[in-house]
This record gives sequence, structure tokens and C-alpha cells, in this order.
Amino acid sequence: MTNHPNGKTEGMPPLARLLSGFDKPRNVTRLFYLLLAVCIALGLADFLYHKHGYFAVEEFPAIYGLFGFVAYAAVIFLAKGLRLIIRRPEDYYEPFAIDTEDERAAGSDPEATGGKPHA
Amino acid sequence: MLDIIVTNLPALQVVVPLVAAPVCAMLGRGDRSWAFATLVSFLTFAISVSLFVAAYGGEPISYEMGGWAPPIGIEYRIDVLNAFVLMIVSGIAALVMPYARRSVASEIPAERQAFFYTAFLLCLTGLLGVTITGDAFNVFVFLEISSLSTYALVASGAWRNKRALTAAYNYLIMGTVGATFFVIGIGMLYMITGTLNMADLAVRIAEHGDSRTLRMGFVFIFIGIGLKLAMFPLHLWLPNAYSFAPSAVTSFIAATATKVAVYVLLRFMFTVFGFDYAFQASTLENVLLPVAIVAMFAASLVAIFQDDLKRMLAYSSIAQIGYMLLGLAFLTHTGLVATIVHLFNHAVTKGALFMVAGCFVLSAGTSSISSLRGVGRDMPWTTAAFVAGGLSLIGLPLTVGFISKWYLVQASLELGWWPVALLIMGSSLLAVIYVWRVVEAAYLQPAPEGVIRREAPLSMLVPAWILVGLSIWFGIDASLTTTAASRAADTLIGSSQILWQE
Amino acid sequence: MPEIGTPALVYMVAALIVPFVRPATLRQILLLAVPVLGLLTFWQLPYGTYGTFNLMNMHVGLMRLDALSYVFGLIFSLAAFLALLYAWHVRDTVQQVATLLYAGAGLGAVFAADLVTLFVFWEGTAIASVFLIWARRTEGAYATGMRYLIMQVGSGVILLAGIVLFYRETGSIAFSRMDLESPATWAIFLAFGIKCAFPLLHNWLQDAYPAATITGTVTLSAFTTKLAVYALARGFPGTELLIYIGATMTLFPVFFAAVENNLRRVLAYSLNNQLGFMVVGVGIGTPLALNGTVAHAFCHILYKALLFMSVGAVMYRTGTSKASELGGLYKSMPLTMIFCVVGAMSISAFPLFSGFISKSLILSASADTGHFFVWLALVVASVGVLEHSGIKIPYFTFFAHDAGHRVKEAPFHMLLAMGITAALCIGLGVFPSLLYGILPYAVDYTPYTVTHVVTQLQLLLFAGLAFAVLIRTGLYPAEIRSVNLDFDWTYRRLLPAALSGVAYLVQGTWRFASRIVMGRVDSLIAGVYRAHGPQGPLARTWPTGSMVLWIAVLLGMTLVLAYI
Repeated sequence: MTNHPNGKTEGMPPLARLLSGFDKPRNVTRLFYLLLAVCIALGLADFLYHKHGYFAVEEFPAIYGLFGFVAYAAVIFLAKGLRLIIRRPEDYYEPFAIDTEDERAAGSDPEATGGKPHA
Repeated sequence: MLDIIVTNLPALQVVVPLVAAPVCAMLGRGDRSWAFATLVSFLTFAISVSLFVAAYGGEPISYEMGGWAPPIGIEYRIDVLNAFVLMIVSGIAALVMPYARRSVASEIPAERQAFFYTAFLLCLTGLLGVTITGDAFNVFVFLEISSLSTYALVASGAWRNKRALTAAYNYLIMGTVGATFFVIGIGMLYMITGTLNMADLAVRIAEHGDSRTLRMGFVFIFIGIGLKLAMFPLHLWLPNAYSFAPSAVTSFIAATATKVAVYVLLRFMFTVFGFDYAFQASTLENVLLPVAIVAMFAASLVAIFQDDLKRMLAYSSIAQIGYMLLGLAFLTHTGLVATIVHLFNHAVTKGALFMVAGCFVLSAGTSSISSLRGVGRDMPWTTAAFVAGGLSLIGLPLTVGFISKWYLVQASLELGWWPVALLIMGSSLLAVIYVWRVVEAAYLQPAPEGVIRREAPLSMLVPAWILVGLSIWFGIDASLTTTAASRAADTLIGSSQILWQE
Repeated sequence: MPEIGTPALVYMVAALIVPFVRPATLRQILLLAVPVLGLLTFWQLPYGTYGTFNLMNMHVGLMRLDALSYVFGLIFSLAAFLALLYAWHVRDTVQQVATLLYAGAGLGAVFAADLVTLFVFWEGTAIASVFLIWARRTEGAYATGMRYLIMQVGSGVILLAGIVLFYRETGSIAFSRMDLESPATWAIFLAFGIKCAFPLLHNWLQDAYPAATITGTVTLSAFTTKLAVYALARGFPGTELLIYIGATMTLFPVFFAAVENNLRRVLAYSLNNQLGFMVVGVGIGTPLALNGTVAHAFCHILYKALLFMSVGAVMYRTGTSKASELGGLYKSMPLTMIFCVVGAMSISAFPLFSGFISKSLILSASADTGHFFVWLALVVASVGVLEHSGIKIPYFTFFAHDAGHRVKEAPFHMLLAMGITAALCIGLGVFPSLLYGILPYAVDYTPYTVTHVVTQLQLLLFAGLAFAVLIRTGLYPAEIRSVNLDFDWTYRRLLPAALSGVAYLVQGTWRFASRIVMGRVDSLIAGVYRAHGPQGPLARTWPTGSMVLWIAVLLGMTLVLAYI
């Protein structure tokens, strides 16, 4: 997913250097499959204990997992649909809004470079 | 020893300043006489506080002057109402005296200062005497003592501005007419009852019943006191007297003299003429109520257009007296509470504001509003005191002015007179305008070039701020003043048999 | 500590002193001492009402200490301390004083035993907090602050109206349980609702919080809305309407947060959604639900502050908080990343984190009382929380594509503040009894059951899997610089547009009418001036003779009256 520019790790804090391996595409893929494996394990775990639910629907194996997956996707797709309606240019409320102002005014480090200027 | 002092406290209240006055004149030099008069004013305040504590706790205190039993002898009679007024008068005096040293030094030549303080103590004696006594003729005597000394005090402003002399002269004429009316009224009462003791008068008037002479007496007393308390349109002496008198005098009499007159009116209305005559109620409703409302508006409007700060405050006083009379005209318990509470609240507020005006006079040499431009930067503490006092004059919450207006509005709503309630609020808006004019000049306009104005000395600032502090303190926690006022109203109602409007 | 009525006093006195303290370090130490001192004033006091007196025949109580207000007092003090520690580098006196006054007013309001005191502090929070927005000192921040102030003061005015009506109805100003049955209580309810960001009244929150300064937002996030939750819990527990309001509140911000680019606005939406959980708890009103509300408010203040702190730290170093401008920052700010992830896992309610032990109380309470659809909405909302706060915030800030920022790690004091907050989040998650022990009602609740842990992990991890799938397939919406319309469009665009149309019409009429009216007014003022001006008959100095004439007139009038 992420490309480290020229892949160098000098100048990074030691902790960051420790973590830097994770965003190599190969490791990201590994992480993905690890997550998938954990999810399947969790789903299967439902058969190993007696569930104490409040509603009958909770008794269904791995219902929480399936529900979470579907709900998450639904949220994203609905939000994408919503964005089609509500999206406006960033300077929509100018000049009575902070959206296009330089955010460093909020008290950033004097050395901060700020985001890219508004296109 | 202590016993004797305690039992004779009511007499001492008057005797101490009375005896001190000639002593003060003999002391000669300004500083010495000032120090002595200040000490005396503290002492009188201490006495009136102890009297208030005693009267607040229980029965009215009755003191027979010289051991002569009433109704022949003179009786001093102290209940919650006049103990409260005594405390206001002597308290203001005790604050004005420290204030007076610097202010008087700049306005009156050194060799005359001893006489000034003598007149001041006499005026204090008179006001305290009027309040404390239970004898109708004695009221007249003390009224004259205070009035005569006030004329002298007002005239002493002549060193600053010669117009003080004509102001004092006018005041003299008007005051004397008022006093004469008052004594005529008392004479008529004496004609029908043969007594001068107030308590005795009340009983005998009740026995005697309605008559022409009684009505005449009532009207003369009403008008006579109306003059003294500057009831609109009998107020014409007041603006000049207040504006041209020395600042310390203005602060003192503006805070006390009219309040004492209101007290006398209350006392005669309720304790002496203590039962329900139709003419009494109709006088209140047909004369006092319109007069009070007109005063609230006309005087406030005049204040808006005034250029002189002291004159503006003087007109505002006339409007504020309108509020007190309004509370009285309601003829209900709440209305009376409003009047009595406003006695105190206005004394504190106006005392502070006139003190501030005196500070301006001392530093800027004038009290004209246009010359106060930019003064907020040069004299921040003084100006801030004005703002705080002004807010109380407007009647903003958390100031005493609000408490007064609250009770007034309550009283008018109780009777269902909501137009009156609206008028009360409307007149407060006028106060916003005239206070704002000063604030605008002091803070928003640039100071004229080359003018140096130093902050007023601490001896003047501290008393002014004490009054400002009181006006905020009792605006936040009004329980002491309102309970005292409510008790005082109870006593008044208890002493009369007026059928109360419910 | 001596009894001083209300801890707010400590803050106010400090706010008076602070501007005069030099040097800066001494001032910072003093600032940090304030919440500690404030806490000490009520820390060991027995429950009861303090600072009582009579104000114009109304019973005023400055401090009511009971199980409910104690918890809020505790967390508010803690939040004030952490926010001030985080703001150690700020040298702006305005912000320092505003923070003190704001936190003090918040505490004062929570401890208020009567409605008048509540109102005073309620407005106090509004007025003090707006300076944290204005402290940004830009045109936009000023306009935003104004909008915020209007809403907040408006809430106070409605509250005051409600109190006045309430006093007329009941003759009491005691702040206790109320029923929604009269205009008075409706007005009070509405005032609480504005501050609590009920749906359609919520936009001040998303509008203002991203506009405040970096440190200001951290402070803002703690007090105002939680004060409103407290007020609802005190005044309207068990009001069924609140359940549905709360459920709506948990759901709709989820969608807005998912497409929002400004990360601090994402957090503001998320704050709105979390408030929904608390409002549902108040609406259910059973002891378990109210405990849940209180516990959730407690945990929420901590992890929300932590998230705002970490985004703020990023903003401090990079100068931006927009997701489209950020990414890959774990290489520069790994510690901040870790604290952010702790905050994210707490808000998403992972087991062993604080959100898990508080949110489950509310979910259990809703299930216990048989509100199936409400319960379902809360579960969906939980997935939504994971989406915008649990994943979106850390992912787009610290991972995703590298935006090329090569900056220093956050300053030490920020790391310290975040570290303490993160430790508290984990500590509460691991030892729930610490929090359960101080809740208003006795709790018999075990969050760590096999069922609960496994189902929760399923819910979260499968949702995470969905995220991974969507990212890998490119279906996940990209971060784009934009402004998204919300209800505030009605008053920021529609209303002004409508008004300008109306204004155009009115203007013409007005010009015509005003010419006539002004003429009248001018002549009226001239008339008043003629009578009352310095030379007018009412202000002139009169000769003595005319004065005496007036006396005669009045005497005559009164005599005639007396004779009739």
C-alpha cells in the first residue's frame, strides 16, 4: 500500500525503524491474511462455548462477525452515496469558515510546513 | 458607666453630633476640625448600628427625653424603620467625612473649613433628630436645624462657583415655605387633638374622626414634606443646590436628606394619619402616582440632555425619588418594601456616584461631561466606580438597583397594574442612555491634548468604592436589606389601620 | 482544604492571578496546580449541599456533592489537568485564562444544586470557551466563533426562560428530576439538547471544534457536551424520547464522519455519535443504564481527549489536520501513533480498553429493557465508531500513502499528557472495578465474559476485515479536499440567501417608509429636546416666584381633591 520514498530508514526514530518493515507490500499482504485467519478462528470459536445472548438472533454462529462485516461495508457504501449529494468545493463557505485557511494559525510549531495550498 | 451609656443611646445619637458641632467650630484649624468631625461621625455610626441591632431584635425602643413622660415630654421612639434610616444617614456621614478632607481642601479656604465641618455636623444632627424623634413638633425643629445648616453648606460652594449663592437662596425660600406648610399642618393637628406626640396623635385622630381641619392638616403636611423630598414639580430647588454645593456636601445630602424626608412622609402617612380615609387613598392615587410617574420620565429625559455630570445626577435623583413615591402610592406591603429598600439602595448608589463626580471635579476641575473625554484612561478606578454605580442606577441584575426595581415591578404586578410595570422598565432604559453618555465620553472618546488628570487620592476613592462595593454586595445578597425593609413595612402597617389593597 | 462553596472559585481566582504571573514556567506550574487544588476542595467532603444561601427568597446551593456530581467533578478536574499539561507550550494568556474559566464554569455547573447557579455557569462555559476558538485569530475563526457563541448563548437564554417559567409554576428553583409536561420543562430540555448536540441542533459542534486552536479543541472536547449529558442525567432520566434521540445521534454522524476530510471534524462527528450512546443511557433510565452513561462519559472524555491530542500533535508538527495531506507519519512520530491507536482501540471498545467496559453497560441496559431496534442501532453505530475513529483516524494519519512529512516527534509535554491519558484508558479497561466503584448506583456487572469478549472481537475484527477488503479492492472512498453539507447549510447558506431576497424587498419599502417615519421621529426628538434640553422649561433654573407658584398649584389641587 505504502511506498517509502527511496526506502531509506536513516533519520527515523528507533521505534519507527522497528515498525518500518510493516508497510512493505509483501508484509501488508501477510498482515491481511493473518487478519483473515484470526477472523475465521473467532468465527469458529462460537462453537466452543455456550453463548449468553439477550436476543434469539445472537445464537446464530458467528453472527456478530458477519453482521460487523456487512454493517461496515454498508456504512462505507452509504457514506459514498451521501458524499455524492453533500460534497462541495472547499471554499464553499468562504470567507466565514476556516476550511481553506492556513491551519498553522491554530497554534502549530513555527517550523511546521503546512498542508499543500488549496488548489 | 456602660449601663448609662447603653440606656441613653437614643439621646446620644443626637446629642453627640449636636455638642460636637460648637466644639468643632472652636478647634479652628481645618485639619483638626476635620479629624474631630470624622471621629464624631464614626461614633454616631457606631451608635446607630447598635440601635439598629437592638430594634431589629425586638420591640421598638421608647426613650423619654429628660425623664418627662410622653405625651407631655418628648419621646424618642426607635423601631426597625427609623433605626434603618438612622443607620443609612450616619453610615453615609461616616463615609463622606474621610472623603471630605481632600475634596473640601480643594473647594473651601482653609480658615473656613472649621465652620464647614460645624455646619456639616449640625446638618447630621438635624437629619438624625428628624428620624429618631417620636414627637411631631420636634420633627419640625430638627428639620429646621438640618435645613438651615444645609443652606449654609450649599452656599459654601460659592468659592468654586458664585451661582451657589443663588442656589442656596432659592433652596432657602423653598425650604422655608415647605417647613412653614409643615408646621401649619402640625398646628392644625394640634388644634383638633391637643397633642404633639405621634403615637398619641394617632390615637386621638382615630377617636376624633374625619373633619375639614384634619384634611387641611394632611394636605399641608403632604405638600410641606413634598417640597423637602423634591417631589416633582416641587423639585426646582434641587438641581442647582446639588450642582453648586461642594462635592462632599452633595454626596451627603443627595444620599440622606431626601431619604429622611421620605421617611417623614411614611411616618406621617401611616403612623399618624393611621386609618383609612378615602381622601388619603385618593391623594395617593390621583396626585402621588401620576407625579411619581411623570418624575420618572421627565427628570430622566432632562438628565439625558444635561452636560454637567452633577446636574445630570441631580435630575436622576429626582427620577429615583419618583420610584420611591411610586412604591408608596401602591399602598401595598410589597410597594412599601420597595420604597424602603430603595431608600437604602439609592442612598448607596447615588452617594457613590456623587463621590465619583467629586473626584472628577478635584482632578479635572470641572464636572462637565464634555471635559471628561478620555478620562477612563487617566482615572481608571474613578471611572470604573462610575460604571459600577451607573449599572446600579440602571437596575442591572447583581446590583442594588435591580432589587429595588424587582420589588417595584412585583408590587405593580400584584395589583395587576402592568402598564405601570412597563413604565418602570421603560424609564430604566432612559437611565441606560444618560449613563452611557458618560461612559462613552470617558472610554470611547480621545482625551483632549495637553490635559493632565491624575487619579483621585485614595482617601476619596476608598469611600466611593466602599459604597460601590455595598451596592454590589447588597445586590447579590439582599437578604439583610429586604428583611429589614419588610419588617419596617410590617411595623408601619401594624401601626395603621389602613385597609390594605390586596 | 477549607470549604469554599464551589471548586469553580479556585479556577476563577486563578484566572485572575494567572495573567500577572511571570516567568512563563512558574505560570505553567500554577496552571497545573489549579485542577489539583480544585479537586482537593471536594475530594474528601462528605456528600451534601454546600454554599447555600437565599437569593431573593430562592434557595441557592453552589455545590451539591452526591454520587452523580462527584464522578463528573472528578473527570472534569482530571480533564482540565491533562488539557493544561498538553498545552504547556502555549504562551497565549487569553487561552490560559479562557481554559481556566471554562473548566471552572464546567465544574461549577456540574455541582450546581439549583437552576439559577446552573444557568450562570452554563452561560459561563459558553462565553469562556468561545475564546479558545477566537484565539486562532483568523477571519474564519472569528465568524465560526460567533456562530458557536450564538448557539451556546441561545441555549442559555432558552434555559433561563425555562427556569423563569419553572419557578412561576412550582415556586422552586431546585435542580432535580423533571417531567416533560409543561413549556417550562420543554424549554429546559431544549436548552440541554442544544448543548448536547441533538440531531439538527448539532452543527455548532462540527463547525466550531475544528476551528479552535490545537490545545483549545482538546479542552473543548471535554466539558460542554458532557455537562449537557450530566444535566440530562440529572433532570430527565428515563425520558423515553431520549432513547430515540440518542439512537439517531449514534447513527447519522457515522456517515458524515466517513467522508469528512478534516480529521478534527471527523472527531467532532465521532464525539456526537458517542454522545448518542450516553443519551440513550439517560433515556432508558434504569440504574444500569445511568451507570453506563456516567461510565461512558468518564471514559469518553479520556479517549476523546487522547484522540484530539494525537491529531493535535500531528497538526502541531505538520501544520495540517486534513487526511488528504497526511499519511506515513508513523515514521516520524511513532509514539504519537501508538497513543493514537490506544485512543482508537478505546473508542472502538476493544476488550482491555476503556470503551469496552463502559459502552457495554449501555448496550446491556438497552437489551435488558427489550429495546431491540435501539440495541441494533447501537451495534451498527459501534461498527461506525470503529470505521471513523478506530480506523480512519490512525490509518490516514500515520499509515496510508506517505505524504512526505519528515517532522520531529511530538514535544515531551504532549507525549507525557498523551501517555498519562493512554495509561488511564488501558488501566480502566483492565481494572473496570476502579471505575465501577465510583458510579452512582451499586453495580453488579461483569464485562469480561467469554460471550462478550468473543462477540465483540468478532464484530470489530470482521469489520476490520471489511475495511482491508475495501482498501485492497480500491472501493474505500478516497480522502478528498472538500466541504460536506450538513444541517448547518440551512443557516449558513439557505437562510442568508432567503434573507437577502427578503432584504431586497424590504429595503425598498423601508427606504420609502423610513423617510416618512424619520421625519416624525426627528420632530418628536426636537419636541422632547425643546421641553427637556438644557434650555427647556423642565431643565431651566426657575425664578423663585415661579417655583412658589408651583407649590400653590399643587397645594390647591390636593386641597380640592381632599375636599371632594
